[in-house]
Amino acid sequence: MFLSRIKRSIYLFLMEVVNIYMNTVDYQSLLDQVQKPARYLGKEINAVYKPPGDIDLHLALAFPDLYEVGMSHLGIKILYALSNNIPGVYAERVFAPAWDMEELLRTKRLPLFSLETGTSLCAFDLVGFTIQYELSYTAILNMLELGGIPLHSEERKKGDPFVMGGGPGVFNPEPLAPFFDFFVIGDGEEILPELLLEYRRWKKSGDAERRSFLRQIASIPGIYVPSFYEPVVREGKFAGLKPLLSGLPSVITKRTVDLEDSFYPEAFLVPYMNIIHDRAMLEIFRGCTQGCRFCQAGIIYRPVRNRSISRLRELGKNIIAGTGFEELSLASLSTSDYPGIEELVDALNEEFKDKDVQLSLPSLRADSFALRLADRVQKNRGGGVTFAPEAGTQRLRNVINKKITREEILGAAEEALFSGRNHIKLYFMIGLPTEKEEDLLGIAGLVREIAAVSGKAKKNKRSSFRITVSASTFVPKAHTPFQWEPQISLEEIKRRQNLLKREFRSNRKVNFTWHEAEMSFLEAVFARGDRKLAPALQKAYQMGSRLDAWSDEFSFSLWERAFRETGINPDDYAAFQPGYEDSLPWDHIDTGVSKDFLKKEHLRAIKGELTGDCRLEGCRGCGLKNCPGIQVTRDVPV
Amino acid sequence: MKYISHLDLQRTCIRALRRASVPVALSQGFNPQPRLVFAAPLAVGIEGRNEYFDLFLTSFWDGTLLKQVLQEQLPAGLEIKATLPVDLHAGPLSALVEAALYVALFPVFPEEYAHILTDILEAEEFIVLRAGKNKGREVDIRPFIYNLETKKGSDTTRLFMLLATGSRGGARPEEVLAKFPGETKTVKVYRENIFIQNGEALITPGGEALQEYLERLRKS
Ligand code: SF4
Repeated sequence: MFLSRIKRSIYLFLMEVVNIYMNTVDYQSLLDQVQKPARYLGKEINAVYKPPGDIDLHLALAFPDLYEVGMSHLGIKILYALSNNIPGVYAERVFAPAWDMEELLRTKRLPLFSLETGTSLCAFDLVGFTIQYELSYTAILNMLELGGIPLHSEERKKGDPFVMGGGPGVFNPEPLAPFFDFFVIGDGEEILPELLLEYRRWKKSGDAERRSFLRQIASIPGIYVPSFYEPVVREGKFAGLKPLLSGLPSVITKRTVDLEDSFYPEAFLVPYMNIIHDRAMLEIFRGCTQGCRFCQAGIIYRPVRNRSISRLRELGKNIIAGTGFEELSLASLSTSDYPGIEELVDALNEEFKDKDVQLSLPSLRADSFALRLADRVQKNRGGGVTFAPEAGTQRLRNVINKKITREEILGAAEEALFSGRNHIKLYFMIGLPTEKEEDLLGIAGLVREIAAVSGKAKKNKRSSFRITVSASTFVPKAHTPFQWEPQISLEEIKRRQNLLKREFRSNRKVNFTWHEAEMSFLEAVFARGDRKLAPALQKAYQMGSRLDAWSDEFSFSLWERAFRETGINPDDYAAFQPGYEDSLPWDHIDTGVSKDFLKKEHLRAIKGELTGDCRLEGCRGCGLKNCPGIQVTRDVPV
Repeated sequence: MKYISHLDLQRTCIRALRRASVPVALSQGFNPQPRLVFAAPLAVGIEGRNEYFDLFLTSFWDGTLLKQVLQEQLPAGLEIKATLPVDLHAGPLSALVEAALYVALFPVFPEEYAHILTDILEAEEFIVLRAGKNKGREVDIRPFIYNLETKKGSDTTRLFMLLATGSRGGARPEEVLAKFPGETKTVKVYRENIFIQNGEALITPGGEALQEYLERLRKS
């Protein structure tokens, strides 16, 4: 209630440019006036403070969401420690302000400031945004403007920071193109040190021309300077991006780090306030070869790269010693797939034998191997398990290449309940390509079967159990085999959600949750968007759209107006169904996986054919060069 | 540090103890927790000058050593002033807490304010509205206001507020300050100390009697 009232009052004076009259903000006085002041406090254990005289490059690591979300994100912690390890470089953090802080900054005409030293965003050399999610785009614009940085790259002048973007969101950077000076495509550990070096060289050279710095870095592999490229339209149709200068690459290839030898932080930041994931994270491998066809992470993080057990044990030990965290989470896209996961868990258990450290294994497959693995680390087994069958019928699971059968799901559910767990959480997706009524009913059927299993378990063991069913809506993502598929219409999303709601209404054991249809729609618009969307994004921001991922802040009617006023029909994007021969707005970003492979995977999807995991069944010929997996190539049946 | 919540502070201390490899005992039960219990939670935005927690260890540690290793692991702004071994049967400090002494620093303290103070002390009741589960509820905090007095200094006037606190109910400093007109939200408030019952008298957990403590404070 309170927040939405503030929101409205902000619209009125939004466009006044914040008046910057100092480089650092005395934010202490602001902290007395906001909720959860620890969001803006800094000074956590392992936060880095450097004497000003030692700094020749000042980097802001910006995260377009609240502190408690941003601080739960692994990437920003890696980059923070990595950058601060470089002598002369000082990296500070900046998060999106909550409504109350934003209002204070605007009324007092103060700029958005960094956590460590209260430096205004506009006083940094480089401002790097981690881009995770389409619904955080307006928060980026808000942070730029509050920070006193001109929104558009072309308006920035000498003395303004360079604004860069990285993270999974930049694999289709086009809707954000005018707001960023450049994007960093691929693993940050690999590019950032090189980029920082280049910046210092430029700064030292005395050349104050922004353009010459951008020209220089545009040749670094993995760096994309959008203002140096222009969309080509042929016969009314998008026909790719054209470099405006000679010598620029026409395709920007992502960079990949050698994980085993790469930097990993030991001095993890320890927040004061309770954040979303308040624990230490140990990234055991990067990438995933399961090959789910809707999944973008599975493509953009290829190839799979592991850290060795000995390195992980050493890292785990030092992280716990340096932070005091009571939980260490083994992070990856699919934890069960780590080769030697049992040995790893044993080694870490041995390391923490007298330390009272809880290991946690997120992202486990739904099978009994995973359950036994979880039992090895769980001190109290009373908790829950999470399974992600994604689709309700075998046919549709084949379409999306989710290699799990009904029998495996039921077996795992039974084992989970008999081993004393009292909560099963199931993730499904609706609106997947080729989905029909029977697939939706299949979700309800599968859940009923699990409920029946738990009924049996209840008689034998436990007195209470719950099933949570969560249905998200399929969003076609760039660089996946489903990039050629449309999203179902808003009405259709709601119809299918209602059908499931009806199915579960009478079942008291089942708690059904779903994602807001309008949010999934908006996500789809931007996930496969192009540069033409930028004005709509800016409009929505100016009309007051902020932290859209927080459902109580989300206003769809505002977005509808923004699209209307900028002449955009959002359906053209969400329901976009290009042909294989069409140029796509993100074709110039090269994940290493070939478009040809994606196309073959799409065709196999339509036919309902599974594609094996290349780690187990040999290389599938995805097009990646220098993939360690290629050596085990057998015949490639694509 | 006044910007972090009570639970944040507790977590911060526990993690510091873990980094220092101090063997903290765990509670019994399904979900064992480190046995570190603060005497009285401190509200966000209020600084604590003398705060206390009970800490159970699995083996005896020298107090000076404990103080030193813990201090090394605490963030700036948290200072361990003293450690004191306590009889295991002494009972938790949190159950003994009777009152807390708050100090508010007024840049100016006009005559009008002095009248407000007298009014509060002479009134039969002092009704405040507190947020409840569904709707607010009215509470009479007059019995919880033990004493209010001021001490004029060269550039500020200190208002000492001795308020009941703990499980039997209490008053909050901001409830008292709300009686003063103007910008009392920006008046700096800190908690000077807490007091436990000792026979008829109130003493600090360290053993100093209330009257002597106040006397010392007035002079400072
Ligand atoms: S190149 Fe072959 S082995 Fe490597 S990720 Fe692609 S399909 Fe798998």
